[in-house]
Amino acid sequence: MKVTLNIRRFNPEKDEKPYRKDYEIDVPETFRILDCLDKVKWDIDGELAYRRSCSHGICGSDAMMINGKNMLACQVLVKDFKKKYITIDPIPSLPVIKDLIVNMDSFFKKYEVVKPYLISKEQPPVKERLQSQADRELIDEAVNCILCGACSASCPSLWSNENYLGPAAMLKAYRFIFDSRDDAADERLDIVDTTDGLWRCHTIFNCVEVCPKEINLTWHISQMKKKCAMREL
Amino acid sequence: MSLQNSTSKFNRWLDVMFRYRKHTGSWAWILHRFTGIGLTLYILVHIIALTGLLKGEAAFNEEMKLFSSPVFLFAEWFLGILVMFHAINGIRIVLVDLGNGARYHKQILVFVYILTVILVAGMGYLIFAHV
Ligand code: SF4
Ligand code: FES
Repeated sequence: MKVTLNIRRFNPEKDEKPYRKDYEIDVPETFRILDCLDKVKWDIDGELAYRRSCSHGICGSDAMMINGKNMLACQVLVKDFKKKYITIDPIPSLPVIKDLIVNMDSFFKKYEVVKPYLISKEQPPVKERLQSQADRELIDEAVNCILCGACSASCPSLWSNENYLGPAAMLKAYRFIFDSRDDAADERLDIVDTTDGLWRCHTIFNCVEVCPKEINLTWHISQMKKKCAMREL
Repeated sequence: MSLQNSTSKFNRWLDVMFRYRKHTGSWAWILHRFTGIGLTLYILVHIIALTGLLKGEAAFNEEMKLFSSPVFLFAEWFLGILVMFHAINGIRIVLVDLGNGARYHKQILVFVYILTVILVAGMGYLIFAHV
């Protein structure tokens, strides 16, 4: 099957400005976009740069904007696309290091801001910390995040304001706020209960559309909005 | 340099805003934004129009006659579309933010569109049935 990849290229050492380039390749229809990129890199242009590691939707390193939508290149097949002219860009709003590789520093800084670790005021138990099944269900979805950044980079609120925490960081806040074993819910709510936190979410649902783990981020954010509103009453 | 930086940043923002794939939720957001901006501008127009009151009854009535011309009736109807969509989608947003609506936002949006069409049609009837 003939496929054309239209890729946004930028090498800061050589190029003054980013430019787009077409690559025509012949691949089986069961090829993933990641395989197509590999083919371009291995057979046509060894300079093409992109991140990938597990190539099975686990590590979250190959999020990119494919045909105008963020997704993991290792999770979509060529045959999923009707038109065989496929555009590939780095995920939006993050500084480009080279080609499809973006600098994720700000993404991870925001992640650290919400204290993404267990804070317990209790004496550590001898064995594991127990949790009821019902309590665990509350965080069933939230624990699945692989930190690919597709959601935060798809958010118009974040494109327009780089201080916005973004859905991924706030999902992590939810993951601990609603964890029965954690004791720092209020501390974390204070962090997200700001104009650059929860309240900059305008329920656009771009993040929900792109999450490769099918996490409904907006729902999780709304649960924290509710909690914050309840605190004020 | 910094100016160049910010223009290239702005260009990328614009590029992404236009090229990023739209879907149910983002269309609702875009419509909500534009109807919101429209209504804000309308308030200005509304206040300016009402200044006729300061010039006495006759002047005001004269002005009001202008507003009952067909063109303005249409404009009013159009305004109704903005108000209806903005108000009803506002309820959807409240359901999403403070209820469980985030799980059903697409279904709720269908209701929002249907309700908007019905109310706007009804409003059109009320406006034009008496012309
Ligand atoms: S919530 Fe989903 S889209 Fe966002 S970083 Fe986690 S896995 Fe990626
Ligand atoms: S390469 Fe690991 S998620 Fe795609």
